[in-house]
Amino acid sequence: MIKLKKCLDLQVVIILIWVLQSFVVNAMDMWWNLGVVGGAEVWRNQKVYILGAQPMCSQLKGLSLGQTKLCQMYHDHMPSIGRGAQLGIRECQYQFRFRRWNCTIIQGDSSVFGPVIEIASREASFTHAISAAGVVHAISRSCREGELASCGCSRALRPKDLDRDWIWGGCGDNIEYGYRFARAFVDVREREKNHPRHSAELSRMMMNLHNNEAGRRSVYNYAKVACKCHGVSGSCSLKTCWQQLPTFREIGDRLKERYDGAVESKFNKRGTKLVRKYKKYNKPTKEDLVYLDESPDYCVVNPKTGSLGTVGRECNKGSDGMDGCNLMCCGRGYNTFKRKLVERCNCRFVWCCQVKCKTCESIVDIHVCK
Amino acid sequence: MAGVVLETLSWKKLIALGILLLLLLLSFFLIGGLVAPNPSNVMVVLGTKCLRKGSHMQEEWFIPFGGNEKCDSINSVDEDRVYDEGISANQIVFSFWLPYMRDGKQLDFSRWQQMLLTVMQLDIQYDPKFPMVKGNQYNCSLLAFFELGSLHYDYYLINVRVPVEPYKGINMEIGSLMDIWVIGIHQNGGFTKVWVSIKTAMFPIVLAVLIWFWRRIMMLTRPPNLLERTLFSLGIAMSLLNLPLEWLTLAVDMPFMLMINDIRQGIFYAMLLCFWIIFAGEHIMDQVERNRLKHYWKHLAAVIFGCSCLFIFELSERGVRLTNPFFSIWITDVGTKLALSFIILAGIAACSYFLFLCYMIFQVFRNISAKRTTLPSMSSARRKFYLGVIYRFKFLMISTLFCAALTVCFFIISQLNEGQWKFMDQDLNLEYTSAFFTGVFGMWNVYVIGLLCMYAPSHKNKPMETDETSNEEEVQLTHLPSETSSVQAFAAKAAAD
Repeated sequence: MIKLKKCLDLQVVIILIWVLQSFVVNAMDMWWNLGVVGGAEVWRNQKVYILGAQPMCSQLKGLSLGQTKLCQMYHDHMPSIGRGAQLGIRECQYQFRFRRWNCTIIQGDSSVFGPVIEIASREASFTHAISAAGVVHAISRSCREGELASCGCSRALRPKDLDRDWIWGGCGDNIEYGYRFARAFVDVREREKNHPRHSAELSRMMMNLHNNEAGRRSVYNYAKVACKCHGVSGSCSLKTCWQQLPTFREIGDRLKERYDGAVESKFNKRGTKLVRKYKKYNKPTKEDLVYLDESPDYCVVNPKTGSLGTVGRECNKGSDGMDGCNLMCCGRGYNTFKRKLVERCNCRFVWCCQVKCKTCESIVDIHVCK
Repeated sequence: MAGVVLETLSWKKLIALGILLLLLLLSFFLIGGLVAPNPSNVMVVLGTKCLRKGSHMQEEWFIPFGGNEKCDSINSVDEDRVYDEGISANQIVFSFWLPYMRDGKQLDFSRWQQMLLTVMQLDIQYDPKFPMVKGNQYNCSLLAFFELGSLHYDYYLINVRVPVEPYKGINMEIGSLMDIWVIGIHQNGGFTKVWVSIKTAMFPIVLAVLIWFWRRIMMLTRPPNLLERTLFSLGIAMSLLNLPLEWLTLAVDMPFMLMINDIRQGIFYAMLLCFWIIFAGEHIMDQVERNRLKHYWKHLAAVIFGCSCLFIFELSERGVRLTNPFFSIWITDVGTKLALSFIILAGIAACSYFLFLCYMIFQVFRNISAKRTTLPSMSSARRKFYLGVIYRFKFLMISTLFCAALTVCFFIISQLNEGQWKFMDQDLNLEYTSAFFTGVFGMWNVYVIGLLCMYAPSHKNKPMETDETSNEEEVQLTHLPSETSSVQAFAAKAAAD
């Protein structure tokens, strides 16, 4: 009898541990996972979709508790969030293609970029900003496609139900909805826990919140305003304006500039707010990126910092910039190989599909860091 | 010229009437600024890329969303499926449904929303073969799409195809077209409601004042003079503009409403310009006997010429759109030149008109100052007559300048306000553009009502003298200025000697 009871106890404990494990999210699990191939694939599977959102949202890797709840409430938004995360990751890789740290995805890692993001460096600030920007961009776009059910209408003061709202004052723009949803979704994981003053966790949380906001604003603030005149006889006595979503490349370029001018920060005396570390630099605005720690050395492999090193990276022989072999290989020198390059060329240009091209072959020199 | 109400009105009554009209004017601005929403709103719709199967000749419509009716669509023209299935450019249809879903609800257009104007934006991917700008997309300018003068139906489905004709070279080298956006601009229902209410309220008021004015004139023994007839026509033009035809659009499909509104507005402003010229001309106070339209043919010709240029332009833009909503005069080179030439001609006519007007006003002021010097030496009746003329003129001058300045100010404010985008500005409740429209509309109403009231012939304090004596005096008076000027010239010459 006693033996059996023990056995049962053990089972209960095992089940408990299992339950706990499924709820406690690793601190560095990131929702960016949705953007990695396979991350949001679940949604494509129609059969599972019919079962309801509940089991689906807990299957998704990288969501925090609050994000899972939001996922259940707005499950139609999840493909857009996945697209947004993907946009962010791709843009990060494009912007950093000539850098020692090149936004490498680490397969199977739930934080996407590996432990290197745990350091509160400039790179971490960029990844947070660009992925938040990706979500704003993707949600706004989906709204304009009429794809999402809950994209809001105007915030007019008088009529209260949607139909009358719409007839009375039309509907507002969707970039704002994208911004609001992204703020709720991206920031919720930071706000889930309370941290004591002066703690490293608090400073990291504030840094992430600041950078997320900077990313979201980069979409909103760089939206171009386009106008159309339609007054008497088409004159400009009446003009209506709207916002054009900037291309994500533009957003990436802006954020890269912000990355270059990121502000190193520290706690204030009370340990509640981040302030700039050096008074000679300007105060960071809401659009600026902030970071806390210096970047680790990305030259060599370091399991402790998570740096992958630059061994095996291609470099540009003639360049003096970061992509030049001297800087990229950190002075270790490089090997040169010949590679046959197969390219599409002489393409017949139609606006979509069916591009008939020839394949041209050329042999180029490739330089790879030792 | 007989006395008008303005001259016989006591200061108290004049001030009271002025304050009343000012309050009315203020209320127009406030109604526009506080009650009405923005005059128009915009809806940006991203096209769904539907796939069409089967024969190309088949007429078929593609619906971007819905249950079973939803078309088979792709997310992006460069996704794998396009290559795997060998989808060609001719199979892709960009489908739009206006208005789209919001808050989980399928919205529909209301007839209160009056009109729909659309613009197209193409997202064309950067291609190294066509290096224009760096970046991953070309910065394409907007394309005018179509304009509907009435929103009679609840939904509008738009299908856009970009067919490729390799032999004719149609749509061949336009770059990789990733997306088409359609930007739909519609009038806001709330604004229409406020606007129509104002019109419905003002129409009977102006009409009543107009009838009162005409009855006063009919009571006179003499036939109405030119100025009175012009003022009456101005009142008619105002009533025409006030006529709340918009009520009909709620029941009947009236795609020509946009054009009718433009024409009504054109008639009113043309009438206003004619009125100013004739008013100034009738107050020049020289010996020329005017009181006939043909004395003003030069000035009126400028107005009529300018207006007919704009009218032709209007017909060739909005008029053609009645049959083909996709038409725009600006898309062809010849059309652009034609449109520009009409606008330039109208501009020249407007310039010459203003030169005429300024010259006339200058003449009036010169004569006023000449009269001023001789006023003390005149008989009391004569003095009263001239003081009356000067007073009437100055009153109109000041009120017109006030109205014009207000229009310009508000126009600038609303234009400045429009270009800027406010981010999550919750406390902003004033709609400048609406205030501009209702305010300016109300202002001209108030102006016309004011003129009709003030410049109606007066019954009180009829001059003691009979008409003959006053005429005699007028004839005598007309010689006076020339005499004084010759005396002045003589004096000046003597001084120079």
